[in-house]
Amino acid sequence: MKNILKPIIAAVLIFGLSSCEKEADSPIETTETHGDVNIDFNYVWGMGMEDFTLNDTLIHPMNGDTLVFSTFKHYISNIKLIKDDGTSWAQSDSYHFLDASDANSLSINISNVPTGNYTGIEVTFGVDSTRNISGAQSGALDVINGMFWNWNSGYIMLKAEGSSPQSTDGSFAYHIGGFTGENNVVSTRDFTFSSDLVISETETRTINFKANPAKLFHTFGSVENGSFHMPGANAKIMADDFNGWTNISSID
Amino acid sequence: MTFKIWKVTLFLSAFLFSCSQDMEITSEKVVFDPPESFPEPFYTSEKFPFSKERVQLGKKLFYDPILSVDNSISCGSCHAQSHAFSDHNTALSAGVNNLIGTRNSPAIINLAWQPYFMHDGGVNHIEVFPLAPITNPVEMNLSIAEMINKLNANSSYPLDFQVAFGTDSISSDLVFIAIAQFQSTLISANSKYDKYIKGEISFSSKEKSGLDLFESNCSSCHTPPLFTDYSFVNNGLDYTFSDAGRALVSQVTSDSGKFKVPTLRNIALTNPYMHDGRFMSLDEVINHYSEGVKENGYLDSRLSKGIVLNDQEQSDLIAFLQTLTDYEFISNPDFAEE
Repeated sequence: MKNILKPIIAAVLIFGLSSCEKEADSPIETTETHGDVNIDFNYVWGMGMEDFTLNDTLIHPMNGDTLVFSTFKHYISNIKLIKDDGTSWAQSDSYHFLDASDANSLSINISNVPTGNYTGIEVTFGVDSTRNISGAQSGALDVINGMFWNWNSGYIMLKAEGSSPQSTDGSFAYHIGGFTGENNVVSTRDFTFSSDLVISETETRTINFKANPAKLFHTFGSVENGSFHMPGANAKIMADDFNGWTNISSID
Repeated sequence: MTFKIWKVTLFLSAFLFSCSQDMEITSEKVVFDPPESFPEPFYTSEKFPFSKERVQLGKKLFYDPILSVDNSISCGSCHAQSHAFSDHNTALSAGVNNLIGTRNSPAIINLAWQPYFMHDGGVNHIEVFPLAPITNPVEMNLSIAEMINKLNANSSYPLDFQVAFGTDSISSDLVFIAIAQFQSTLISANSKYDKYIKGEISFSSKEKSGLDLFESNCSSCHTPPLFTDYSFVNNGLDYTFSDAGRALVSQVTSDSGKFKVPTLRNIALTNPYMHDGRFMSLDEVINHYSEGVKENGYLDSRLSKGIVLNDQEQSDLIAFLQTLTDYEFISNPDFAEE
């Protein structure tokens, strides 16, 4: 066996050495140009679309609950822009952590987008199943953000916490997640722009999304129904109501 | 022999890549070395290939009480090499401030082959496994943000991460990957049983009788060579369940009282037994299967009649289970606290 291995080792070593000599890559020839686009998240409250602000007292328009949110955080992922020729451009490693207490996190800059006319955008609400089962993650998905269940692996896709006199213990906490089966809360939606969005090298446009935390309680009802911290039917109901209302309000 | 070629190839391909990328050859020694008798491992650390430096860093973290809130306990406190990386004959382990958990500290053996972790299988990846004990208030009680602050402020860890991962800015994913790489090296495949299977030694007639009993009564769940099929089984410990086990994770009622089938490798070293450490000895365990199995509505059908063995058979089975002790595993200096 050694006799067979020796020439192989020799050949590989020679090849390995010679491969070190020239490594200068010529730059990839391309005429494609690129630009940026921003995605901004704005939160409103209820049908009247009042301002949604953490630590402010809010009255739920349907159930009358008095709610003070201390935490509102959620994920979006896998942003894809649809071109007018039907092709699409997907952002790589596209995971974004939105935290209402951090204004910077609510304005997402998407760079290196091929210039051209775009007709719509695809957004996944939550974190796709693959990243829920692939071990330690970095960046937006780092567990340091407190958005990962350690006892039942998976991302918390949306976390809403605060206080309310209608709650039996005075507080509420909804940790919404689940990425498999009938109670999978992760959903992907397509939004069509009212008119084409032109991405150019010179001008950065902003796609404004509007989301409404009051919608969490649209079907679920009052906080007196209790809090939850696990996947299940309630998580699915809350996620569907919140994600389903979220829409593009304007493009600047 | 094919295995040897594989190792040589691995070394040579590392050499090849060393030119085009910044990948240094750290050592000729293969740090993660799956036994030929095992199936393909589940975990191969795709994001960052196994390296001596990463494994070494994982070992340092594993034995460092810096991962507990008051610097009082390390992973190794409840996962001791002398006990095949389970706790020191303790049913329920003490965390910080002597707080007691609800489940027995599991042995860390052949984790790279394990598809999910914890007695209820709630954790789905070896890299996120340490998250639970580190942050659990009754174990190490350290938030991940505090953990990262402590490690970055430490006098030696930034340099260790620089050497292992090429960055001195420590983030949680790198901590978990290092620990996963060290834990993956905790491979036990050199017990008396393994040597018997390879034809290197013989069994006594008692051990042989125990092996026969094992194969006809136990191996459908505790399947060799890993001695578990990783299924969740209700083994009739109780009529009602103070710990719902798998059902806590799956939210499926029929999973009540089910727990992950544990490996039997080094089983003589990892007492007490069961998810709550209720049985102090192997005699008690085998006595449970022989006479104590309770029909509770969710009992595994394979145990509906129990596993009835006479005294001689029970004694032979224990003699066989003792052949699963791997003395090289518990004395390997590569795994030991320094």
